[in-house]
Amino acid sequence: MPIERGLQYLRQMQRVTLKNLPMPLEKTDKWKREHPDENTMKTIMSKKGPISRSGLPPYGIDPIQAEGRLPWILTVPKEPYYEGVEEARQYLPISLRTLQRLIDLRRINPARPIDLPVLCNTKLFSIQPDQRQFGLQLTDEGADLFSTPINLEIQWVSSEVATAAIERCGGILTTRYFDPVSLSALIDAKKFFERGEPIPRCDTPPLNAIEYYTDPKQRGYLANPDLIREERQRLAQKYGYKLPDASKFSPMFHLRKDPRQIFFGLAPGWLVNLKDQTILKPKDNKFETFYHS
Amino acid sequence: MMIKSSSIAKILRHCSVFRSIQRFESSTTTSFPPESPASPITQQLPLIVSRQIEYPHIRYPPLQAWLETLGQKRDEKLGLVDLHPSIWQTSPRLDILYENVEWQKTYKKIDWAYTPPHHEYPNMRTKPWPQKGTGRARHKSRFGPQWKGGYKVNGPKGPTSFFYVLPKEKRVEGLCTALTVKLHQNDVHIVDSLDLPTHQPTYLQELAEDRFWGPSILFVDDTDIMPHNIMFATAKTEGFTLMPVYGLNVHSMIKHTTLVLTIRALNKIEKKLLHALHSYDTQKDQPPAPDEP
Repeated sequence: MPIERGLQYLRQMQRVTLKNLPMPLEKTDKWKREHPDENTMKTIMSKKGPISRSGLPPYGIDPIQAEGRLPWILTVPKEPYYEGVEEARQYLPISLRTLQRLIDLRRINPARPIDLPVLCNTKLFSIQPDQRQFGLQLTDEGADLFSTPINLEIQWVSSEVATAAIERCGGILTTRYFDPVSLSALIDAKKFFERGEPIPRCDTPPLNAIEYYTDPKQRGYLANPDLIREERQRLAQKYGYKLPDASKFSPMFHLRKDPRQIFFGLAPGWLVNLKDQTILKPKDNKFETFYHS
Repeated sequence: MMIKSSSIAKILRHCSVFRSIQRFESSTTTSFPPESPASPITQQLPLIVSRQIEYPHIRYPPLQAWLETLGQKRDEKLGLVDLHPSIWQTSPRLDILYENVEWQKTYKKIDWAYTPPHHEYPNMRTKPWPQKGTGRARHKSRFGPQWKGGYKVNGPKGPTSFFYVLPKEKRVEGLCTALTVKLHQNDVHIVDSLDLPTHQPTYLQELAEDRFWGPSILFVDDTDIMPHNIMFATAKTEGFTLMPVYGLNVHSMIKHTTLVLTIRALNKIEKKLLHALHSYDTQKDQPPAPDEP
């Protein structure tokens, strides 16, 4: 602790007197140039020169590169092709073909729900939350090959063919938003538990994403489940397949997460202790209201 | 004699018996000879003076200091006093102490330097010698800047004040750091009152020498009306000063080697500083101000 170390020094060192106090640091040349004192101002604002004769050029003009009277910044036109690049969200693609391949090679268990940590544990994807990457998106390459029922949770789906391919085999698709803090916990779960932080609660999606995640057509996690069922029927009719019975499959298949929950089986606010193989749960009311709100 | 309050506080922190008013009659009589346990020895028994600590600190428990007397030469401790950690255990920011000391020096400073300009000189506007003919340089007046005894062009004009008010947070922080610095360098002594048995200055001087209370001592009391004996004693010794609480400042605390507070002064100082540390800009959330000025 910095305070206790400072006090330790105080106890060991000499008495603090008026002569022992530290002088302030010297001002750098850069600071002095930006904050001229009285005498330099007097030499600048003398009776001669372009300053006193109002002969200075306007701001932004370099006399060597000036073409006409406009500065360079105004002569070059604006071409906003990449406007909004700094705020756009990125999703790494995963195709149905890779999914089928992973299931065939037994790297993924289709009997359990397939989640973002499950896909990251295959070490095929490197998601970087600080590069504005918010998860994975499903592409429709390999829709004809896909033939296993799975419970998939993905962050973005842009094509109907992909959803239809999954639901034709009897699977379930949900799109789910994770904010960067919970993403960093999900990508490397073991590392996160070794850090010793309580499980964060997932924030609501930003304004330009709420419409997507409340849409039943995209199977958003905030959408009405009745509307989702309608959409499944509609897709089945459109692409010409019959929806298989959902009651045949195990209850593990139908697991869904709470909007604030990140991990299956663990609630936000819990502390996982890997060394002692225990989980610590908060008891106080305020924590419970915060983490389950 | 040099008792380190911090180490004792560490020992006592392990026993959790010091937060309430208690009269230790059985546990501390081991130090005294076992004579007449029935008769109550009121003065010699160590007391714990109860002090209700407002705005208790979240992290640190209260510190402890000995309660001493000036009434007798023999160094006997009367008990323990609780001290608030926000005031007596802050980070030792010596640069804030420097700023406070500089402020105390310069806000009263007035620079009386004045060089009269051209028009305030005596009216010798006549040419000293004609323009041409004489072999000398051409001059217009006898009091030009290049002449001896002439006016100065851009010299200091009139009284300039160096008045500025250091922000309140820095002043409060300066007082708190000065108090922590004194406490952790064993230069603070808390005393029940400033009553002396005699008015002889030698009594105080010998008392201070025996207890190693440095060459200069600052006595701080509640009000500005002090007992007669101590007034006489401090007036005759060099280095001892009396001060009421409203005169407490960083420069005096650092200049004097030791600081002697009475309990009533301690209460007042803590009350005022805590009110300043926990007050806000908006009037709505202000806690009520203390009654006395």
